[in-house]
Amino acid sequence: MKYFLQRFGFYLIAFFAAITINFFLPRMMPGDPVQSYIATLYSGGGNISADTVHAIEKLFGFVDQPLWKSYLNYIGSMFQGDWGVSLKYYPRPVLSVIMDYLPWTLFLVGTSVVISYIITTFLGIFAAWNRGGLFDSIVTITGQIVANIPAIVTALLLYMIFASQLKIFPSGYAYDSLLFPEYTWEFARSVLYHAVLPATAVILTSLGNIMVMRANMINQLGEDYIVMGWGKGVPDRKVMFSYGARNALLPLVTTFAMSMGYIFGGSIVVEMIFNYPGLGLLMFQSLAARDYPLIQGLLLLITVLVLSMNLLADILVYFLDPRLRKQGK
Amino acid sequence: MEPLLEVNNLSVDYITMTGSVRAVDNVSFTINPEEILGLAGESGCGKSTIAYSLMRLHRPPALISEGEIKLGNTDVLKLSTEELRKFRWEEMSMVFQSAMNCLNPVVRLDKQFFEIFKYHGITTNRDEAFERSAELMKIVDIAPERLRDYPHQFSGGMRQRAIIAMALALNPKLLILDEPTTALDTVVQREILQKIYELKEKFKFSILFITHDLSLMMEFCDTVAVMYAGKIIEMAPSEQILYKPRHPYTYGLKNSFPSLKGDVQYMEGIPGSPVSLSMLPRGCRFQDRCFNVTGECRRYEPQGGADKHNFVCCHNQLKEGKVTE
Amino acid sequence: MARINECLTFMRQNMKLTIGLLLLLLVVFSCAAAPLLTSHNPVERIAGSHEAPSINHILGTTQLGRDVFAQTLYGGRTSIVVGVVAAFITLILAMVVGICAGYFGGVIDNLITTIINIVMVIPNIPLILVMASMLGKISPIYIGLIIGLTSWAWGARVIRSQTLSIRTREFVYAAETLGETRFRRLFFEVMPNMMSILSSLFVGTVIYAIMAEATLEFLGFGDPLSTTWGIMLFNAQNSAALRVGAWWELLGPCLGLVLLGAGLTLINFSIDEVSNPKLKVHKIMSNFYRMRKKGKV
Repeated sequence: MKYFLQRFGFYLIAFFAAITINFFLPRMMPGDPVQSYIATLYSGGGNISADTVHAIEKLFGFVDQPLWKSYLNYIGSMFQGDWGVSLKYYPRPVLSVIMDYLPWTLFLVGTSVVISYIITTFLGIFAAWNRGGLFDSIVTITGQIVANIPAIVTALLLYMIFASQLKIFPSGYAYDSLLFPEYTWEFARSVLYHAVLPATAVILTSLGNIMVMRANMINQLGEDYIVMGWGKGVPDRKVMFSYGARNALLPLVTTFAMSMGYIFGGSIVVEMIFNYPGLGLLMFQSLAARDYPLIQGLLLLITVLVLSMNLLADILVYFLDPRLRKQGK
Repeated sequence: MEPLLEVNNLSVDYITMTGSVRAVDNVSFTINPEEILGLAGESGCGKSTIAYSLMRLHRPPALISEGEIKLGNTDVLKLSTEELRKFRWEEMSMVFQSAMNCLNPVVRLDKQFFEIFKYHGITTNRDEAFERSAELMKIVDIAPERLRDYPHQFSGGMRQRAIIAMALALNPKLLILDEPTTALDTVVQREILQKIYELKEKFKFSILFITHDLSLMMEFCDTVAVMYAGKIIEMAPSEQILYKPRHPYTYGLKNSFPSLKGDVQYMEGIPGSPVSLSMLPRGCRFQDRCFNVTGECRRYEPQGGADKHNFVCCHNQLKEGKVTE
Repeated sequence: MARINECLTFMRQNMKLTIGLLLLLLVVFSCAAAPLLTSHNPVERIAGSHEAPSINHILGTTQLGRDVFAQTLYGGRTSIVVGVVAAFITLILAMVVGICAGYFGGVIDNLITTIINIVMVIPNIPLILVMASMLGKISPIYIGLIIGLTSWAWGARVIRSQTLSIRTREFVYAAETLGETRFRRLFFEVMPNMMSILSSLFVGTVIYAIMAEATLEFLGFGDPLSTTWGIMLFNAQNSAALRVGAWWELLGPCLGLVLLGAGLTLINFSIDEVSNPKLKVHKIMSNFYRMRKKGKV
């Protein structure tokens, strides 16, 4: 129990840090975001009155209040669910706009993460088991090189080859534009079909995990209980998984959760290139439109998602590793 | 008497970047039924390598390059993977050096016992397995309820006893103990060894006992084999090793251990440091540290003789265990 | 003659390092020697729009009629420099934070570790994007700066644990020794180990920085007047190069990024191996498998 409180406390602090950064960011940036926004509005042919300027200032939080008061207000409204009003989709509240796009990102990132985790874990286990062999060399090196290629290039290459040239997979959107979202097999199939390329792109950028799993496995394989497992007459496969992998996975759960931030970053770019209607695309559009409240809201939401995944990972580790429960006894 | 274990000309190499290093060189010895053989020597002399090789548990880059290991009628080195898997723990079992690390930390003890029964075809019934495990635990004086615990919930001594119980689960003919008590305090050491001796008398298995603690070995073992730089340089009944050592190294070892009682003695160590296995001299390996060395020692490597249960590899053996002037 | 043989043997034994260095040098020298390799000016409009690759224009032209090959080479210069600068900033920050945490220990260490953990957990790239958006269109150097300021957490963590282990050993020896000479000798013995961590950290950060820079520019935060690989991708995306079928416009920067990334990754792999020969598992294992085939057990 103490363990959970500790972890939750940490994430709460991190969340506050994120809110604080969010609060201070527009105030810290050189130049005046209000002015540059007005310039954008103006060049777009909008009418700027003194009221508009005031409204914008208020939206940004530049009001005549002592700083600490603004800060407290900000925190208060965050927790109440008032994340401001979008400038691009005025007057829709930021949270509502985000909620429209959130499910698709959850779907894309969720499935990619699960598949990636399974693939990289198995590859890492086998590479470590055959350490120094041909399989190990090939998998480790290619995996790392592919993982180091930035998400843009991976996504672009996939797009170029499979969508543009070979036309095997669709080039955009989450589902066939002729269909309506409904619970039919046809719709589900279309969703899956459209998710293949984006998901592949995300998975490819996360292959760095292979090295991590492999390193963990190699550490485990040096332990005595592996040899004892063999000695007892336990079959090879079972030793590899029950003894080796089972223990190697523990630190991996936490590491993978930490890489979620990186994965989200990658998914932003991927969604952009494939026109996938998720948070990434929304982020891109709001960045282009300088829709600051929406941008900040997105940053906060992505942070919350990453933090929750980390918390989930910590909870998972608690159930997987009996040594952590020692604190209770 | 037919020996239980016969090791003939065993050589184990470690593959390195530049070639291979021979960690165990042409070693031959036998163990009789119900006998306790002690294998002594400095760190790095090859004792653990031999122990692991007996069950073919040696890890890459170690390779058995030559030799023969026979337990009864079984040629261990010729067993197939599946035969080897069954052989392990049924005929021979091992208690490893650090009990701390031998047990899978995330699996409960009862399950770790269960695996033994399951993979050797004894039973796949969990309750039956639990009963058998409970009996084993009683033998080593641990309450059966502890079976439901995880390894980290045991103390060091208890863990060691649990592992001994596990090692005896299938009634092996030979039990290998690799420094089983190094990590424990002396009181617990004594209890455990006492218990092992009782079990040996009861279940009639042989023991290969590896340690660098000579005094412990003298008390516990029937026969002692002394290793140096990958070779067994002397093997004899423990009384003979203690009172009439023939090899100068054995003599030196014996005199390096102070006795707990009695007057303060003059201690002799063995000068020099262990020879490097990649730079072995011609002739006897012990030549640079030996007080009895002669020209012959520097030319010809001494051989042991035909008796694989009692031999010494030395050109200038000590008489009556005393250094001649 | 013997020298050449020695070199060849070294290269064969360190395949990864050789290939990695080759790739790296290929990319870096091509970009540095850009004026020698192409006569075209990267920013001038010299040909028709979206011309396919030909003898005159090895990688074709962009929508604005610029030579893609020239752009790739000249643009690479900026991309690489920015990446390296960003990596430097990151490394220095990581070292400062990590060494302080490891060296001082106690409360300071706890505090710094918590800060590191928090910074690590907050997603990097969205934060960079937001910062970049508020700054408007910025030149590559500023992009490098932003990347440097946000990516130090992981490196700090690694350096901190390394410092901790050094510190324990130092103190043990300091307690043992009487004179200073041994202390200094230890310092020079221990530093090489730290060097390998630092250099692989540096290489890894360069990879990350170059990629992050390209990503930022691709998303529109760079200065469209400058030429870097990221800007090239940005322009290509905006001119819908792919949909028009002008894949070559993307090929240049993509190739640059892939080759550079592959080269640096391979070098990173071999840094550990070269400094710690025990890691040359592959050579040992192939010897091992060969011996095993001869009937050894």
